[in-house]
Amino acid sequence: MDGIASAGDPPIDFDLGREDDGTNVVTVRGDLDIASADRLDAAVLPLIEADGRRLVVDVSSLRFADSSAIALWVRWAASVQELQLRGASPLLRRLISSMGLEQHLRLTG
Amino acid sequence: MSQLGSAQEARSGTARASVTPSPLARGHRAYTAAVAVALVGIVVAGALALVSRSLYTSNERRLLNLRVKELGDVLTVAIPNTQEPLESAVALADATGGSAEKFTRYIASFVGARRQFVSASLWRLDGPGTGPVASVGAPSTVTSSIAQRAALFARARQSGRLEVLGNLRVARPRLAYAVATAGGRFAVYAESALPADRRSRLQSNAAFSDLNYVIFLGPSTNSGQLLLTNLSSLPIPGRHAQAQVGFGDTVLTLVVSPRVPLGGTLPERLPWIILVVGVMLALGAAALTTRLIAGRLAAEHLAGELEQAVRRNQELYAEQRTIAQTLQQALLPAALPHVAGTESSARYEPGEQGIEVGGDWYDVIPLDEHRLLAVVGDVSGRGLRAATTMASLRYAIHAYAAQRDAPDTILTKLSGLLNTSATGQFATVLCAVIDTEARRVTVASAGHLPPLLLNAGGGDYLALSVGPPIGVQQGAAYASVTVAMPGHGTLLAFTDGLVERRGESIDRGLARLREAALAQAFELPDLLGHLVGELRDGYSDDDTAIVGLRWTV
Repeated sequence: MDGIASAGDPPIDFDLGREDDGTNVVTVRGDLDIASADRLDAAVLPLIEADGRRLVVDVSSLRFADSSAIALWVRWAASVQELQLRGASPLLRRLISSMGLEQHLRLTG
Repeated sequence: MSQLGSAQEARSGTARASVTPSPLARGHRAYTAAVAVALVGIVVAGALALVSRSLYTSNERRLLNLRVKELGDVLTVAIPNTQEPLESAVALADATGGSAEKFTRYIASFVGARRQFVSASLWRLDGPGTGPVASVGAPSTVTSSIAQRAALFARARQSGRLEVLGNLRVARPRLAYAVATAGGRFAVYAESALPADRRSRLQSNAAFSDLNYVIFLGPSTNSGQLLLTNLSSLPIPGRHAQAQVGFGDTVLTLVVSPRVPLGGTLPERLPWIILVVGVMLALGAAALTTRLIAGRLAAEHLAGELEQAVRRNQELYAEQRTIAQTLQQALLPAALPHVAGTESSARYEPGEQGIEVGGDWYDVIPLDEHRLLAVVGDVSGRGLRAATTMASLRYAIHAYAAQRDAPDTILTKLSGLLNTSATGQFATVLCAVIDTEARRVTVASAGHLPPLLLNAGGGDYLALSVGPPIGVQQGAAYASVTVAMPGHGTLLAFTDGLVERRGESIDRGLARLREAALAQAFELPDLLGHLVGELRDGYSDDDTAIVGLRWTV
């Protein structure tokens, strides 16, 4: 379930897992921008379609995210009952609040 | 459109300029080289085969000459078998005064069926006509007359050598010998039988089994003089060598030819082996050459095609970018309106990443003679989808503005037009109304960065509460903020492409923009150009839009 970047792609890798209570967890590492967002989206979409209750996105190891990452999470948030962004860096938190999305992307951890 | 035309021309011009061989020419070149290699190989193989053949031939000749000398030597050794018993018999006769008994006893061991002589007889030199003193063995047949015999003895006495006479053209060929000593009184006469068919039964057969030999009596190789041979028919076939061996008063002429290659079969076969192997190698090399050359030509051709493809690709890419930018420009307002006492300017900068149109836009809409609505927006994603969504939002805003909707109302209505959970799209939008009569600036934001409000002394970002981006929540409520309009002020609204940098807080970028805006006084269009230049130097991946409103009241 790992996604590893191939040569030439921006360095992003991610894991898909489940927590004990059955919640889907996506752990993202590296850079998430317009080039890598599509690949991550393709991997997560089946997960959301199978279980649309809650999705936790662990971004504690995420080095960089721009508006295309936000767009991705906003899309996921619209498809599940609750989306949690866990371990967001101060930079990311600021970006999310500047876009008025604190209500829609719950920041935890 | 002229840009498109020139791109097309450049493309076809490039195609004409490149030179790669056609498949037919490629095959031709490979074939020629292969034929050349094959010819060279065959010629070399042929030359080597010829050299090997000539070496073989000269070696065989040398060996044959050696062998004929060997055979000659063997005969030379064998001849005394004939000569010595007769000479001894003459000496005995001279010594014993012609004792018949002694002669007979001595010569008997040499006469017989499988011995040297078939007959031997002792004669008095001074009276040969009266018959022999003694005679052993079969009657002589070679000499039939006294005169003949007398002449033979006279010759023998004179020469002191073994006289040889052959009677070879008869059914039972014989050789006759006569020995007499000079000054002696006796002569010995003997005859040897030759096989009727002259086929040799020499013991030395084994040693000379690789040779055909013919032995003639006398110096000529006349078949009438044939003594012995191991051939079944004459003349001797093929290459032959000759030697002569003294035999009494005459000679034996030997002619030999090889039955098998004297040096072994390999040297005989070697030229053919070389030729066959050489030709096969030459053909193999030719085939390999063909493949290598064809392969190389194919690779060159492919490289040429790849080069062309890459160039074509680059041209297409540039063309696409041109189209995208043209489209972008078409989607954005050409001339900006303004109301009295105001000035407006805007810039759009496409991102350097990719060729697709972006989703950023700006708009300036006059509401009445003293109110202007400035809009700046950013649709998520890129490409035609983003562009068409952007166009819909733009025109929707025009419609709401015509209805005199306030900025917050406009955004609320817009929020129903997109559905992020359905389409994955959203948009950040900022609406700002400047009212030159009421001297008010009213701003509302849907997920968008606040505008920069500059005045004579300085300037700062408008504090506002940011609502959700359009599409995230249908029918969301937005809060607008109203501030007093400073005299001779400037409102700058922009998209995040101007201030966002990787690894940096958004506040850092906002501070940078503010610094650049306050650094120097510019005319409005120049100010926008300056800001774009300062902030996007080296950071121009994303597209950006910036709109400025300046009032002089």
